[in-house]
Amino acid sequence: MIALVRLRLAGFLRTGRALAPVLAGLLALGVLYGGGRAQPAEAYGVSAVVLFPVLAWQTKILLDVEPDVQRRLARVVLGPARERAAGLLAAAVAGLGTVAVALVFPWLVGGVTGPTGPGDRPLAEGLALGLWAHLLALPAAVALGALACRAITRSAGYGVAVLTLGGVGALVLGLSGSVAPWLAPPVLPTARALAGPLAAPTGLLLTAWALAWAAVVLAGYAWGRRSRA
Amino acid sequence: MRLEGVWLRYQRRGPWVLRETDVAIGPGEVAVVLGRNGVGKSTLLQLAAGVLRPTRGRVVDRPAAVGWVPERFPADQPFTVGAYLAAMARVAGLPGPEADRAVRRWVDRLGLMRFHGVRLPELSKGTAQKVGLAQALLRPPGLLVLDEPWEGLDAAARDLVPEVVDEVLAEGGTVLVSDHRGETVRLPGARHWSVADGTVTEAAPSGAAATVVVELSVPAAGVAAAVARLRADGHHVLRVRDHAVPPPATRPVSDSRLAVPAGPVSGAGQPGERGRPDPGPGEAPLSGAAGGSGSAPEVAR
Repeated sequence: MIALVRLRLAGFLRTGRALAPVLAGLLALGVLYGGGRAQPAEAYGVSAVVLFPVLAWQTKILLDVEPDVQRRLARVVLGPARERAAGLLAAAVAGLGTVAVALVFPWLVGGVTGPTGPGDRPLAEGLALGLWAHLLALPAAVALGALACRAITRSAGYGVAVLTLGGVGALVLGLSGSVAPWLAPPVLPTARALAGPLAAPTGLLLTAWALAWAAVVLAGYAWGRRSRA
Repeated sequence: MRLEGVWLRYQRRGPWVLRETDVAIGPGEVAVVLGRNGVGKSTLLQLAAGVLRPTRGRVVDRPAAVGWVPERFPADQPFTVGAYLAAMARVAGLPGPEADRAVRRWVDRLGLMRFHGVRLPELSKGTAQKVGLAQALLRPPGLLVLDEPWEGLDAAARDLVPEVVDEVLAEGGTVLVSDHRGETVRLPGARHWSVADGTVTEAAPSGAAATVVVELSVPAAGVAAAVARLRADGHHVLRVRDHAVPPPATRPVSDSRLAVPAGPVSGAGQPGERGRPDPGPGEAPLSGAAGGSGSAPEVAR
């Protein structure tokens, strides 16, 4: 399965189609950090929100780069479960690369600053919370991107619709006072939680919420792929 | 391997492509899937290979190692032939050195040496098809599924397909082949599955009614007369082609499947070699042109 992950990552990187989401991500981060300096945890919380649709789009591109027949060849060789898992794993690895860029980027452009006052979080804690926020967004984004991939949606139009609905839904349903916040992954609630002191139970709840959301959407992806090779 | 009560449709409310399909095939057996275009041959093969999941029913006892040669190899990939095959060998679970050996073996055998460093999108259709064939054979398949394997292949590679099928069968494998061009006369021992109107039926065991292909070489000037004579004798002339250099015999004459029923080529050569013109003395009556520059009608009865 690891060999298939490598093959898919190589296909994604060599076709140059990796460039579009990377540029979009950099652009979004540039806009985000262009306004001045912020505390790392708070800035990273917003960065994870901004990157959520980018990571989902990147996942869709990675899964769609491979021709349909090549995906079926992999299915014959490895079996359906491992073929699916290899695609998701490849998307997660590519997503980790984007997350790493997102964590380093603000330090290069002076978008974040270390603790300046007595109430500020220590730097290490800010970085750790930033990593946590991005790692919460990643599985949900991979799941959304997988649900939008060509193997499931079969047409570019439906694919874009799923991606847009998911991305906009995560923002709209994540606003404070939302009527159905559980329908969206907790990217905005996480960003809000990082703006102030974060209690451990809140952190655990957000983690469980993000993982449960991703699990439900991935189950939908797996179910959809049963009859869509 | 068995397909038990298999139904398949591609969309929830779409038409059934296959209905109530029950077929079984054992180790060492080859079945040719026949039928018109769009009738569901590829669908049946993809169900057997595990590409498609039956909407109803099930596929049981499918061998673990399946090699599938799709009708069109997906050449739109950013890899060279060598890199792609090496990656597919590793995907199939072959460890590094073994994967390299398997790639070298099939690259040599299919004449892909000079394409080793060529990127897949730059390949001709036939060469891409050979890569498709190679990837299915890197790991010795317990089930080999060939969807129109002769499509786009040159003469030498077309002759290689029955050879490969024989090897898979000899190792206890099972082979399924679809074909709409009549090339499967090259597989005389095969069972015939016919797909029509969503159902698969098996033709009665062929036995004495089996036909084989015998290639002959005749002087170019005498082609019309030879063809007419063969037809008058009740033989079916499949085609007439140029024959510049006689290719080497590619299979042992002792192969029991090569036995041609006495009679089909009476007076036209020695029945004993199937698939290739026999350069031996038995060919003398019709091989007038030394060096084999004549034409070779293929005949079958």
